[in-house]
Amino acid sequence: MENKTILKASDISIGYSHKKGNTIISSNINLTLEKGQLISLIGANGIGKSTLLKTLTGIQKISVVLTEKLPPSNLTVFELIALGRQPYTNWIGKLSELDVAKVNEAMELTKISHLAAKKYYEISDGQLQKVLIARALAQDTPLIILDEPTTHLDLLHKVALFKLLKRLTQETEKCILFSTHDIDIAIQLSDEMIIMTPETVVQDEPCNFISKGSFNTLFKDEHIVFDAEKGRFFFI
Amino acid sequence: MKSASLKTILFLCILFAFGCKQKKEVSNADIASSKNEIQYAKGFEIHKYNGYSVVKITNPWPEAKESFSYVLKQKNAIIPDSLKHFTIIPIPVKTIVVTSTTHIPALEMLGVENTLVGFPDTDFISSEKTRKRIDAGKVREVGKNENLNTEVLIDMQPDVIVGFGLNNSNPTLDLLQKSGLKVMLNGDWTEQSPLGKAEWIKFFGALYGLDSKADSIFSGIEKEYNATLALAKKATKKPTVLAGAMFQDQWYVPQGESWAALFLKDAHADYLWADTKGTGGLSLPFEVVLEKAQRAEFWIAPGDFSSLKQMSDSNPHYAQFDSFKNKKVYSYAINKGAKGGIIYFELSPSRPDWVLKDLIKIFHPELLPNHKLFFFQKLE
Amino acid sequence: MNQTKRNTVLFLILTIVVLCLFVINISLGSVSIPLKEVIHSLIGGTSSKETWQYIIIDYRLPKAITAVLVGMGLSISGLLMQTLFRNPLAGPYVLGLSSGASLGVAMVILGAAFLPASVASLLLSSYGIVLASSLGSFLVLMAVLVVSYRLRDTMAILIVGLMFGSLTSAIVGTLSYFSTAEQLQKFTFWSLGNLGNLSWTSILVLFTCVLIGLLLSLFSIKPLNALLLGENYARSLGLNYKKARLIIIFSTSILAGSITAFAGPIAFIGLAVPHIAKLVFQTSNHVVLFWSTLLFGASIMLICDSISQVPGGDITLPINAVTSIFGAPIVIWLLIRKRKMIG
Repeated sequence: MENKTILKASDISIGYSHKKGNTIISSNINLTLEKGQLISLIGANGIGKSTLLKTLTGIQKISVVLTEKLPPSNLTVFELIALGRQPYTNWIGKLSELDVAKVNEAMELTKISHLAAKKYYEISDGQLQKVLIARALAQDTPLIILDEPTTHLDLLHKVALFKLLKRLTQETEKCILFSTHDIDIAIQLSDEMIIMTPETVVQDEPCNFISKGSFNTLFKDEHIVFDAEKGRFFFI
Repeated sequence: MKSASLKTILFLCILFAFGCKQKKEVSNADIASSKNEIQYAKGFEIHKYNGYSVVKITNPWPEAKESFSYVLKQKNAIIPDSLKHFTIIPIPVKTIVVTSTTHIPALEMLGVENTLVGFPDTDFISSEKTRKRIDAGKVREVGKNENLNTEVLIDMQPDVIVGFGLNNSNPTLDLLQKSGLKVMLNGDWTEQSPLGKAEWIKFFGALYGLDSKADSIFSGIEKEYNATLALAKKATKKPTVLAGAMFQDQWYVPQGESWAALFLKDAHADYLWADTKGTGGLSLPFEVVLEKAQRAEFWIAPGDFSSLKQMSDSNPHYAQFDSFKNKKVYSYAINKGAKGGIIYFELSPSRPDWVLKDLIKIFHPELLPNHKLFFFQKLE
Repeated sequence: MNQTKRNTVLFLILTIVVLCLFVINISLGSVSIPLKEVIHSLIGGTSSKETWQYIIIDYRLPKAITAVLVGMGLSISGLLMQTLFRNPLAGPYVLGLSSGASLGVAMVILGAAFLPASVASLLLSSYGIVLASSLGSFLVLMAVLVVSYRLRDTMAILIVGLMFGSLTSAIVGTLSYFSTAEQLQKFTFWSLGNLGNLSWTSILVLFTCVLIGLLLSLFSIKPLNALLLGENYARSLGLNYKKARLIIIFSTSILAGSITAFAGPIAFIGLAVPHIAKLVFQTSNHVVLFWSTLLFGASIMLICDSISQVPGGDITLPINAVTSIFGAPIVIWLLIRKRKMIG
């Protein structure tokens, strides 16, 4: 059988190193990331989601989509996406025919081919996000990581983004891992979820989490309850 | 009654005023009748009276709008009231501070070098006699350039400080004067004619009551100079001369009316910028100088170099000049005192005759077969 | 693509312009020499006047070559610094190179009073100044880098560079206080920059340094493009950030350090030219920017030098005055433009 695993992490710890010593944020982490899966990473603020993502990018070559503002420049959409091909180009970054094809393919997958000649600051934020996703696609890594891509989006765009990511995992067989606060939608649309609590980091399918009752104890607030049947959180 | 006393008062007032006026008139007449002892120098005048003399510095710095007068008072002399507002300096002075190396030769020629107690930047002094005194600790370091150390000077209390001003503002000298010290401005550096500069020895002569000695020393120099001048006129050729040197892209040449240019004229040489006006320096681009002076026969005063190689190392363009190629470059900067002071700067103003003889020896060696170059040396 | 065609045409025009400016620069000067004579001498013939021959071949030609090297070197280092620090106001001297050079040269020229006469006269030769400048640049650069290393933040280097600049100014100021008018004039002249008076040996050394710097910069083009997205994205693309930063800093140091050593600190060219290139070519792609900056740098420096010669006149202007008059309006215009982009 073809190996579907892209990344397997066994019993790792994540944290920061200082001069005075190491700060461990979380330990005993076991993750298996497979092809074609859309995996969401959820957890309370400050629990270490970004740190976990950063650690993973350090382990092997992964392409990322971040929310940080880009430095001012004159890049066109095409040029921006083409930067994703840097790991494959020669010493001066010249694009081969294959590189150009990959860029065009990425644009088609994200449906932004018509924006190719525009400067990146001339398009809307939503379109820019798609451009950055296209760039990650062009980088052609088996795993793509997105850091909180749904924050600041309205419901319409949240759903559209989720659906795009889902479609991409199906069409490209890549594994897409993203952190989010939109648990309801994550439960509905992700293939697997990773839940980070102060005590543990667990990876499983959403339905298993529901039956295990993991969501009940996710938020330490008696006013927030999880309705297993509806698959949503309610505020009482 | 009232009118009588009023009249008396009025009369006394008139008498008083008349008396004052009389005194003033007497003094003015005195000054007018006493002739200026100075012949060549344009920067100062000396007027002699009974028991005192008035030294007037008329050109302390270029374009000066005011002059400075000093009353040199002998013992027991009476100074008229009209002159009392000038600085009065009791003479003969016993201790002196001077501020330019050009003052040192005057002191030595008059035999009063032992009265020198302070000087700024003593390293610049070349004269061996005075260097001995400096090494023996008899001449104190009193500052740097125009920045005199006021505390040291006030502590020393010299009989007179001979300073110089570059322009209208001399806060250090004013401060010293306010503290009670006697400060005189010396303008020898603005003098342009060779004999004029040398005549400043009379300035110092007056300070020591050695006027006649100063007069006779100067007359001797004057005679020598004029004789040498006459000799120069016998020259058959008039060689072309280049002066100055480059810094970065700019070449500095003396202007036609400057002291250096006048010497070249007196030495019967054709200085290539002799017809420029002004007494200072002219800055020209290298190309212009090369065009005009590449063929010049002699090169005088190329700045602080001690060998031809040093010159070409500093700037390869120097080697293009004929005078360089033919080894006819003469500099005054090679002869230095023990601590690096240039002898030419110190001594040449006082001995223009030696300078002229040097130049004639360079340009017209046949006229002075036995003279050995003193200030200038040929660069090898 | 339309853009590529436009770029090709622009490059062609620029190259021709540079060549023309080179010849024009050599034909203009304080002494009027007819263009025919200039071209005749340049292609190997001899001029009718001996002085003209010398002026053309041994005075103006080296100056023009120096102008090209300086224009190219400083502009490229400015480009490197602007992209590395993501700051449009960065120039080749932000690492403290010119402050270090000033300090070194000040010690030799102004501090000569504190050295024994024999050492002083040795150092005052043209090689002494080059050495002092290089050493000064090197030492201050090391100091800036050591301090910044502890701070870990790339941006911190800018501030540290500024601080060291103030420090060296203070020391130079103190040295000036104790100097004679002649020394001060010498130092001021050095700091006003000078493209002429380099011997052919010096030009060879300068050429080598600039060539090394430019080649290293060529290898930095790909990292610089990656950095257009910011440090995090660049790392995710596989960029070894530390190594790239080191090479960029090293190339800037060689370029700006050697140029300052031989020609003095030349202002504004490093800052303004990359912006001109960006403006004309409307791109952030460093492949295009590299060559356009190079050509613009050479052209503008040749123009500034020709202006500073005040052709036909009897005076010359210091090169820094001309580059500043050129560069200052550009910087002001930039600030206005940046406001618009932020706002």
